Amino acid sequence: MTLSSVDREPADADPTIAVSVRNVGMRYGDFDAVKDASFDLPKGKFLTILGPSGSGKTTLLRLIAGFGEPTTGEIFINGEPVNAVPAHRRAIGMVFQRLALFPHMTAAQNIAFPLKMRRRDARTIADQVERYLDLVKLGGYGGRRIDALSGGQQQRVAIARALVFEPDLLLLDEPLAALDVKLREEMQLEFRRIQKELGVTTINVTHDQREALVVSDEVIVMNDGVIQQKAQPILAYRKPENAFVANFIGVTNFVHGIVTGVDGGVVAFRSGGKDLRGIAGGSAPQLAEGAQCSAAIRAEQIRIVTGGETPDRFEIVVEGVIADTIFEGERIVYEITVPQLAEASLRVFDHDPAAHTQFQPGARIQLGWNSKDMHVF
Amino acid sequence: MSDEKFLSIPLRRRSVLGSIAAAGATVALSPLGAARAFAQEPEKPAEIIVRAWGGSWVDSLKAGVSDSFTELTGIAIRHDLTEDNEIQPKIWAAVAQNRMPPIHVNWDTTTNATKSALRGVTEDLSDLPNLKDTTDLAKPVGLDGYPIVNTYGYVYVLAYRPSAFPDGPPTSWKDLLDPKLKGRIALYNDGIGFHFPAQVAGGGTLEDIPGNMQPAWDFIAKVKQQQPLLGEDPDFTTWFQKGEIDAACTISTNVREAKKNGIELDWVVPEEGAKFDTDGLWIPKGLPENELYWAKQYINHALTKQAQQVWLDGLGLPGVVPGLTPPEDLVNDPAYPTTEEDFKHLIRISSKVQVENESVWFSKFKEIMQG
Amino acid sequence: MKPPRSAYPWHWRVLDVLERVVETAWPRRFTKGLPHAMLVPVVLLVAILIAGLVEMLDSSFRVLDTNTFLMSDFYTLDNYRRALTENFFQSVATRSFIASFIVTAITLVVAVPYAYLMVRTQSPALRKFLLVALFFPFFIGEVVRAYGWLIILGNQGLVNEFLGLFGLSSVRLLYNYSAVIFGLVQYMLPFAVLMIAPALTAIPEELEAAANSLGANWIRTFRHVVLPLARPGLVAGGLVVMTLSLTNFAIPAMLGGGSQDFMSNVIYDQFFRTSDQGLGSALSILLVIAGSILVGIIFRLFGTGSLAIKGARK
Repeated sequence: MTLSSVDREPADADPTIAVSVRNVGMRYGDFDAVKDASFDLPKGKFLTILGPSGSGKTTLLRLIAGFGEPTTGEIFINGEPVNAVPAHRRAIGMVFQRLALFPHMTAAQNIAFPLKMRRRDARTIADQVERYLDLVKLGGYGGRRIDALSGGQQQRVAIARALVFEPDLLLLDEPLAALDVKLREEMQLEFRRIQKELGVTTINVTHDQREALVVSDEVIVMNDGVIQQKAQPILAYRKPENAFVANFIGVTNFVHGIVTGVDGGVVAFRSGGKDLRGIAGGSAPQLAEGAQCSAAIRAEQIRIVTGGETPDRFEIVVEGVIADTIFEGERIVYEITVPQLAEASLRVFDHDPAAHTQFQPGARIQLGWNSKDMHVF
Repeated sequence: MSDEKFLSIPLRRRSVLGSIAAAGATVALSPLGAARAFAQEPEKPAEIIVRAWGGSWVDSLKAGVSDSFTELTGIAIRHDLTEDNEIQPKIWAAVAQNRMPPIHVNWDTTTNATKSALRGVTEDLSDLPNLKDTTDLAKPVGLDGYPIVNTYGYVYVLAYRPSAFPDGPPTSWKDLLDPKLKGRIALYNDGIGFHFPAQVAGGGTLEDIPGNMQPAWDFIAKVKQQQPLLGEDPDFTTWFQKGEIDAACTISTNVREAKKNGIELDWVVPEEGAKFDTDGLWIPKGLPENELYWAKQYINHALTKQAQQVWLDGLGLPGVVPGLTPPEDLVNDPAYPTTEEDFKHLIRISSKVQVENESVWFSKFKEIMQG
Repeated sequence: MKPPRSAYPWHWRVLDVLERVVETAWPRRFTKGLPHAMLVPVVLLVAILIAGLVEMLDSSFRVLDTNTFLMSDFYTLDNYRRALTENFFQSVATRSFIASFIVTAITLVVAVPYAYLMVRTQSPALRKFLLVALFFPFFIGEVVRAYGWLIILGNQGLVNEFLGLFGLSSVRLLYNYSAVIFGLVQYMLPFAVLMIAPALTAIPEELEAAANSLGANWIRTFRHVVLPLARPGLVAGGLVVMTLSLTNFAIPAMLGGGSQDFMSNVIYDQFFRTSDQGLGSALSILLVIAGSILVGIIFRLFGTGSLAIKGARK
């Protein structure tokens, strides 16, 4: 491999890296869709790019697929720079948001398409199509027209078509977004199963945080064209890099205050009339005394101090008034106003609704949590 | 005979069909005529509609006949420029359905007019007073009485560009077969004007028309090898002007008009002869009595010496009243026949024979020319 | 009680009055008949067309008597015999049909990329330009456009003057078969583009991206995805172009130099030149029949879109 400039060197041509994105930027007119994105994805891993709509996640995916050339930076696939390689010459399988199945062909013809384009012989095509129909559990459906298949079956055809030519990389562009919850969850697991079975490196794009956490080996959170954090799902959840990530993943409460002291990783701050502590969030915290701060705490980390709970289990205990009660089946969510914390509104789960009676709006309760669960940004 | 006579209007008639037809279709005649000059004269209509060919043709008619008629009678003349072959079915339909015809007077080729006469849609014009002063030319050949009055004659000459004939003017229709004229000659697209001289040039005789026209077809087949352009009156002027052709069989009037526009052109009547034919005026049946009367007066007026002189000066054609002064440029011209001698070189076939056979002749000519 | 002005504006009152008028003129119980009533203009138009055809059919069985220039009282097949046996009519019919096939083929080949570019281009300026260029000819009309070609392609026209710059002698570009084909293609192009564009618009761009990512370059994407899916538009456009070409009058008349007649020119000559309504009608009827059969065959071959594709792909 010959590369002219050092900063375009891909991860030292590490043979275990499938995709390497180096300082990639994409500009449309005055608008930066993607800014200076860099990451490496090891072979065989399932990566999810998570972000709200307009965050640049789809743009980044399409650049990897080869639909357009990045304005800046370079993309490497298996160590080879691919910026100048057109989409049809990159061995990448892609499942599109609206599946993009060919309506004038049968399921089998759709799956055969990439093999036909690669001029495989008829025998190989027939065998391979059969194998992949079985893989996605559609054996016997090959002759169906696309519009004669259910939504889930169409998903399976799309996956089979994207994988049948054994691509280096599988890209998923929110293909599950339009499905109902039950089917979506089923398909998420199905994606995971097939990916594991074939070991194909996969990049998935979604705005569904649950999907990201369920299926991925790695998660990249994007916002405003910038990669906010890249981590394993559990780390992204437990140790959010910044307030955006904290807010985007999970049900997160924010308490705003003024920093009163920083001691190593521990930050003391005052909110309303109350002194609180938390740990400094992110990898490069920039908190100084007197600065404004936001402290994030997950809904499930806050406990209602009644029943089995005792106040001394918690470093911090506050009084709150129930503002609203939302019954979600397996749990109840309370919206609680805390006058002590400058009228902050906190969401809290009650995971054991059977243990005590449901609180009614207006009821006064005590809440408790521990400082290690609070991330200060 | 070609059906179109737009000369200076650079549009084929087909493009203007719609608008012209629409203009001619509505005839609004005031029920109250102009004041009567004499008690015995029928009531005057507000206007008389005369179908005419456009361009210099209608200009000449207006200058020579229409304007002076209006001056004399106070009756306005409207010129309807619907093409002759397209007014024909309208008149036929009107007569068949006992409706008012769309025009009062039709300026028509004698051949076309003969069809209408045979069909019986023409008024008899034998009682026009001025007919007594006309030459034989005014009388249609092969028809009873005067269903049409011929008003002038014309010749289908061999027109040529002198620069393309450095050794002198062509003398025979066979000169069209010169290889250097390949793709540079033009004929009417139904062959009108060319059938009869072709019969002579092909070695046949005029007496064999219509019985045996094989010599004509043989000659026309040879001409086809020359890849002639086929068109209608306005095309010839355009083609000469644009340098598309060097020779053509066309009416002298077209050539004269092109010459006036500064195109270097001349014409001859070749040794085999050239077709002579006439145009005329006629009145369709179905007009109210008074309008018929004044329409007849119009035609009668067109036969006066003064009217003929001005009208035909414009067209450059010989009239049907003796004693007309030929235009200066046409004195002793073979295409302006006035004497017995002049007519010897011209071919005249009766309209009756022509209308009975022209469908066959046209098809045969087109069949040869296709491809 | 009168509602206040703001709550019940005056135009509502106007509509109330109108509704009452409509109610009186067209009582509610008639409403069921309304859809039928709306068909009346169409039925009338079709009826007039059919009446005309019946009239023509009648004339087509009568021959012209050149002694009286009236149609015969008796019926005869003579006109059809002439139309079907005479060389002239056969050669013209052959020319018309072959020309309409050639014109259709060329027009579609040119129209598809044009329509594709117009539908897919990212540049609004280019799209606008293509649209204007598409509709502009409609404002000019067939005859004037044909005249334009006479000026451009004539012996002293622009093209030949350009050739003259290189010392080439002028070439006869007009008054032949190719000139007629060329003129027809130019005339038909907007019709074809208009018919094809909606079919292309209906193809999601994602399908092309998908084909691309699955290994198809643009040519194969076009062949395997765009063209099969644009088929309804291609068939419709092809039919319009073919029938309009087959029955065209002005272009062969003007650019053919008199030796490239189509059926319509011959029919015109029968009606208006030799006054033979009977033969003209017979030729018209034959043209209608031949054209209908052609359209029927095309419907058979291409009309049922996806079925035929099934066969083609395996």
